[in-house]
Amino acid sequence: MTQGVTMSPMRPVEVAERQDEAPSQAGDTVFDIQGLQASYGSNVAVKEVDLEIYRNMITAVIGPSGCGKSTFIRCLNRMNDEVPGFRHEGKILYHGVDLYGDGVEPVEVRRRIGMVFQKANPFPKSIYDNVAWAPRVLGLKKNLDERVEKALQSAALWDDVKDRLKRSALSLSGGQQQRLCIARAIAIEPEALLLDEPASALDPIATQRIEELMHELKRDYTIVIVTHNMQQAARVADRTAFFSLEVDDGSRAGVLVEYDETAKIFTAPSDKRTEDYVTGRFG
Amino acid sequence: MASENVRVTFQEELDQLEASLQEEGSLVLRALRGSLNALAQRDLELADEVIAFDDEIDRHYLRIEQEVELLLARQTPVAGDLRLVLALLHINLHLERMADYCVTIAKLTKLVADVEADAALLQSLVEMGDRAEEMIRVSLDSFANRDLAGAESLVDLDELIDRSNRRFVERVVEIVAEPGLREWVLRMVIVSRTIERIGDHAVDIGEQTAYLLTAEFREFTDASHR
Amino acid sequence: MAAVEPTLTLRGDGRVRRRRIANRVAEVLATVAALAAVAVLGIVVWSVAKRGAGALSWGFLTHDLPIPFSGQSGGIAPLIVGSAILVGLAAAIALPVGVCIAVFLEEFARPAVRAGIQLAVDLLNGLPSIIIGVFVFGLLVYGHPQNGWAGSIGLAIVMLPLVTRATQEVLRLVPRSQREGALALGASRWRTVLGITLPSALGGILTGTVLAVARAAGETAPLLFVTSIYGRTIELNPSHALPNLPVQIFIWSESSDPEDHKRAWASALVLILFVLATSLIARLALARFRRRMG
Repeated sequence: MTQGVTMSPMRPVEVAERQDEAPSQAGDTVFDIQGLQASYGSNVAVKEVDLEIYRNMITAVIGPSGCGKSTFIRCLNRMNDEVPGFRHEGKILYHGVDLYGDGVEPVEVRRRIGMVFQKANPFPKSIYDNVAWAPRVLGLKKNLDERVEKALQSAALWDDVKDRLKRSALSLSGGQQQRLCIARAIAIEPEALLLDEPASALDPIATQRIEELMHELKRDYTIVIVTHNMQQAARVADRTAFFSLEVDDGSRAGVLVEYDETAKIFTAPSDKRTEDYVTGRFG
Repeated sequence: MASENVRVTFQEELDQLEASLQEEGSLVLRALRGSLNALAQRDLELADEVIAFDDEIDRHYLRIEQEVELLLARQTPVAGDLRLVLALLHINLHLERMADYCVTIAKLTKLVADVEADAALLQSLVEMGDRAEEMIRVSLDSFANRDLAGAESLVDLDELIDRSNRRFVERVVEIVAEPGLREWVLRMVIVSRTIERIGDHAVDIGEQTAYLLTAEFREFTDASHR
Repeated sequence: MAAVEPTLTLRGDGRVRRRRIANRVAEVLATVAALAAVAVLGIVVWSVAKRGAGALSWGFLTHDLPIPFSGQSGGIAPLIVGSAILVGLAAAIALPVGVCIAVFLEEFARPAVRAGIQLAVDLLNGLPSIIIGVFVFGLLVYGHPQNGWAGSIGLAIVMLPLVTRATQEVLRLVPRSQREGALALGASRWRTVLGITLPSALGGILTGTVLAVARAAGETAPLLFVTSIYGRTIELNPSHALPNLPVQIFIWSESSDPEDHKRAWASALVLILFVLATSLIARLALARFRRRMG
């Protein structure tokens, strides 16, 4: 199901020519997920997941409610470890290293793979301290001011807050708080960013700014975004993975149905289930 | 897994749009039939009716254009739905062009009202016209039935029209020396070409059907290049 | 258009009216009960104030204890100082220990362990303070002179479950999303607790401690056996027995000198006012903290 990928952005009109192209060379693989199955206690949340996530691309994960998108993305930075009863099978290779291998520290994993959540969760501290907290804790104390400024610049928030860094983070608007959370995540210079429905609690203008921000961020980071907004996936993602629910003798689990370039998913998907979902024929 | 249609309103709008298009198609068929009859029977009143009738087709055309625009803006169709809407847009255009050609034929009929005609040539023009009519029917039916084979068969039908056109020109070359028929013949060459173009547009409609069904836009082998 | 009943008055029938009466009756009963509770508090404070206010004066608060049967008016300064030291030391013990237990229960303990320790804390909460007093006496004072340390330890045992419970409650108020945010940044669990969870809960923890202090200030039983024999002057050394309010109130109330009775009432008033004031301040602060947490 995975294809080699070209580094140039896909233009839909080239769909007609693609049959004649030689297979393109693979981009750098950042995550190689093999046979992943994740369950909470006896409930299998997601199963039979095989896919590769490539560097400096935005990969969207879409699908109906309960299809395991959030579970999947939380496996990528071991946040699921915090949930009692979580078990997994299969491998998640990050640059060839199994994230769940022996001796691998979740703390090290999360240092390199950051996460931004659905609802902005800034600490009840000042704006500066929000961004500076993790670097301090992780021992990155040199040039802290510059680090904070750079992170806020990258999150397109610097201009808004440069004169009030000492003010409480809770004084910012919802969209600004979410960008602060992004700044906080990139302040420790991760390689990848996982965004779990980052704009679903925001108004359309704030959402647009986050999407623009993602386009800029993908130059430096590998981004995986879970979204229930298909148009958002269509707008921002280079590749899209469609998960759906499979009901199997009374038990339900999420499965990966199709994973391809976003243009293909939204113009001519291979699987009828994908077509039904993106055209809204089934929710 | 039940593919229960959640977007009922959207589906109804799509169905309605396609029905409008098919209606426009039947109007074009009437226009063509009228212009061919006017040509064969040198019926000037009928020719005028055909010309006036074009306004109605234009109204359909504009309405469908607007509906497509609204559908795109409001419903953001993707995948199969998007291809359908784009196909509808293109077919709409092809139908309108065909209607314009019918007007052309009618106008030319009027222009040669008082001029002596060659019965054999006239007959072959009418036969060409019949073939074009058949092609329009096939193109619209294969679109309605999502019939890929039917759409592709249009290429062969177009080949027949093209051969008729060439034979027509050959015959014209033979008789163009006769001064009495010269004006008529020159006008009828244009009619022949016009009918051939109608056939081309029918093939284009077939290409849209193929695009809808295969998600690839492909020019059918173009007969006029041979 | 929906049909409207022809005789619409919206007045309701007999059933509705009976329900309304029942409602009123219930309301009235509840209000009476609440007023009764407030009344009890008011009566207690009032009677103490009535009997004790007379003896209250600046001199009363600053002089040393009177020599018995001497006619000296005397004061309760040593009692105030002693109580302050006892309670202060108790807080210094109970606060860190209580917070640590609470943090362990809320942030780190596995369910089985957690249930066991939670039960122990709850049982400790219910332990009669006289038992605590006897226990501390037996452990630390029997065979040795009385001392303030034992008293503080006894009070700390009384305070511990209160501090732990209050801390647990405010830790629970800190939203899970805060912890997730910190963990997602690569912080370890204990770094998250120290840097994010505890500072957010700080206001509530201090408030809980203040409430525990207010409670401990009035506890007599833990002090009765361990720091009840003391001098008349201010004593600062916890290795000696420390004079304190609750025990002295008890002693004076048993005395045959009516002046002593008056002093007992006055001291009781001081104690009540202290407890009321700190409780009130603590609860206001806690409410403000809850609002801030959202």
